Amino acid sequence: MRRVSTQKTINMNRREALAKATLLLGAALSGPTLMAMGRWENAIGTTVRDKLNLSTLQKQIIAEVAELIMPRTDTVGAKDVGVPAFIEMMINDCYQSPEHRSFMAGVVELEGMKFLDMSAAQKTDTLKQVEQKAKEQMKAYNAQTIKFGDNQDLESMNAVKMGLPFWRLMKELTLLGYYTSEGGTKASFEYVPNPGKFELTKLKPGQKTIVY
Amino acid sequence: MNQININTQKANRFDAIVVGSGMTGGIAAKELTEKGMKVLMLERGREVKHLEGYDTANKAPWEFEHRGKVPINSAEEYWSNNRFGTLASEEAGAFFTNDKQNPFIEKKPFDWIRAYHTGGKSMHWGRQTYRWGQHDFEANAKEGVGIDWPLRYEDIAPWYSYIEKFVGISGQKEGWDIIPDSDFLPPMSMLPPEVHFKDAVMKKLNRKVTIGRIANLSQAQPIHTALGRASCQYRNKCVRGCPHGGYYSSMAGAIPAAAQTGKLTIRHNAIALELIYDAQKQKATGVRVIDQIDHSVTEYFAKIIFVNAGAMNSAALLLNSKSTRFPNGLGNDSDQVGRNLMDHHLGSGATATVEGFEDDYYFGSRPTGLYIPRFRNWGNDKRKDYQRGFGYQGGASRSSWNRGVGMDGFGADFKKGLTEPGSWTIGFGGFGEILPDPNNRMYLDPVKKDQWGIPMIVFDAAFTENDLAMRRDIMVAGAEMLEAAGFKNISTYNRDTHMGLGIHEMGTARMGHDPKNSVLNKNNQIHACKNVFLTDGACMVSASCVNPSLTYMALTARAAEYAVGELKRKNL
Repeated sequence: MRRVSTQKTINMNRREALAKATLLLGAALSGPTLMAMGRWENAIGTTVRDKLNLSTLQKQIIAEVAELIMPRTDTVGAKDVGVPAFIEMMINDCYQSPEHRSFMAGVVELEGMKFLDMSAAQKTDTLKQVEQKAKEQMKAYNAQTIKFGDNQDLESMNAVKMGLPFWRLMKELTLLGYYTSEGGTKASFEYVPNPGKFELTKLKPGQKTIVY
Repeated sequence: MNQININTQKANRFDAIVVGSGMTGGIAAKELTEKGMKVLMLERGREVKHLEGYDTANKAPWEFEHRGKVPINSAEEYWSNNRFGTLASEEAGAFFTNDKQNPFIEKKPFDWIRAYHTGGKSMHWGRQTYRWGQHDFEANAKEGVGIDWPLRYEDIAPWYSYIEKFVGISGQKEGWDIIPDSDFLPPMSMLPPEVHFKDAVMKKLNRKVTIGRIANLSQAQPIHTALGRASCQYRNKCVRGCPHGGYYSSMAGAIPAAAQTGKLTIRHNAIALELIYDAQKQKATGVRVIDQIDHSVTEYFAKIIFVNAGAMNSAALLLNSKSTRFPNGLGNDSDQVGRNLMDHHLGSGATATVEGFEDDYYFGSRPTGLYIPRFRNWGNDKRKDYQRGFGYQGGASRSSWNRGVGMDGFGADFKKGLTEPGSWTIGFGGFGEILPDPNNRMYLDPVKKDQWGIPMIVFDAAFTENDLAMRRDIMVAGAEMLEAAGFKNISTYNRDTHMGLGIHEMGTARMGHDPKNSVLNKNNQIHACKNVFLTDGACMVSASCVNPSLTYMALTARAAEYAVGELKRKNL
């Protein structure tokens, strides 16, 4: 009896996992697999998602990197508009274990280099190297193809899938968090929520992007 | 079934019932009430009040917690709708169907995009509107594909005009047969790189480009302002619902127009279970409805019924309306209900970067782009690898701050550089015509039921070689045009998409001359049950490659006039 229930649990997790896998990779599943799955009944999210477990030091590193990407100049910087907390929230809410891994790998690497103790110049040099390394990582990321056999599940797929590189995540989420924040928007652009018209114009010298 | 007393029966009796409050349900209700009929409109979803209900319409970017990205929890709730990209985001998610609560079965993958609330998908449709030409109606007969349309362009042309004036379509008169001109409001402007593109493509490739024809009010007319609609404000946030009624939706147009007659009753949370058939009268006498929330069942009665539940749900309603006379579903003598499922395939196209035009910019967010009408298998062009053709939609823009994500650099100078508009990019995606195939179908699962006891919809439809060959050509032909215009870094794409993603799913209760191979006659009446009319996408005999809602609305208005006429002539 116990054997039967264990088998059922495994099968259900596998089918549920396969269903969720399609959300990540689009139409990666073949017809027969879908038929076997009863896809609809398994697209029910019951996974308790792991959250990032960041130490105070690690949070400071993330904040520092964000600030180096979008520093306070004569206008507000990343820290001023809440980007560090935004990044942590977004990694938790919008990304899964591959990105949790790759993000943490980047944080831990900087922690190991004692990033926060570096001088400003050293920090900049370090991030430039991280940026260059990320280009290679992006090539590998884009080249990976996860093919499904009928016996693979989301957990094992996520176990092998490479997440977006740390630097790419930091760049994207810093810019997103900054440029869609109230402070960042108003400091950087002309914000026009109700234009009232559409017309062709000529760009004035130094004219800022208009955002709607 | 509930005990129904005499008073309830009277209260539940109408001249007409319209199943669905969306693009065509709205027009049906408007036309029928304006012609003096007392109409009950049934909407399966919740009420969304026009203007009041558009919670996100005026929100700033920072008021969305995830700033436009879709959280995983939402992606799972909206597991089908989310395949389109960002529909499950905080901006518009509330206005798409929760797939977890409204599941369906995919024998083959089908990206079903739905909206169960007042106005349906008319609330956030793409608003692109093009007339069919004579060639579209003739194509099946000429090419021996599917069955013949039981009508021609001249039957629908006056109804196109009628709907266009009511809806309000902005576009440029061109005089082209491939997409006949509509009754237009002023066109929106093309951007300088787009004008350059248009000229180059005409000169070098003899291909046409026009401004996208769009159901946004570039200049509101009295017929629009009478309903409280105002001109488009160029916010391009139409998907949220418009505080100005600047684009056409059921909520901004047809429903207020119907309400003004005093003859419209709308019942929300009312899922149509089945049409009630009276074998002696050879008519459908009404609709049996289950309440979405409390599951109570009610029957409503009417002389005529318009089925406008959206192509898939309209077909499902017929299939679920079984009786001794119609063991395979109401009107399904032909076994064509659920079959010939078509869509427009999309997700293939081409992009490029544009050099120059550094001084050119724009004020306002234009809610339309360019349209490149079909040039394949048209005129002297004859393809060996596929039948029919495609149009492109797209346009040019200057890149914004997000160009920084893929760029090298960080810090003060990097930050400063991103405040100015970036360089121009341009891109086009194809919308391709899918042919009718009886083996592409949806049907009701024989066993599995949803939470309301209604058999679940199963999709069994897929692209064929015609579609795949066309998609490859969409890339090639797109790149050709960008090259002709002298643009750089040309890149093509062909995403692994499925039927359904075009959001133009149609064909599942087609019109035709012959009751043996069609469900509806040339007046959108069910051949075998003439007081039931069906005028949404299910009625389509072929798909063309142009956005279909304008054609659906025109067919609806035409059928409504016929229906009321038949009642007056005592034929119904």
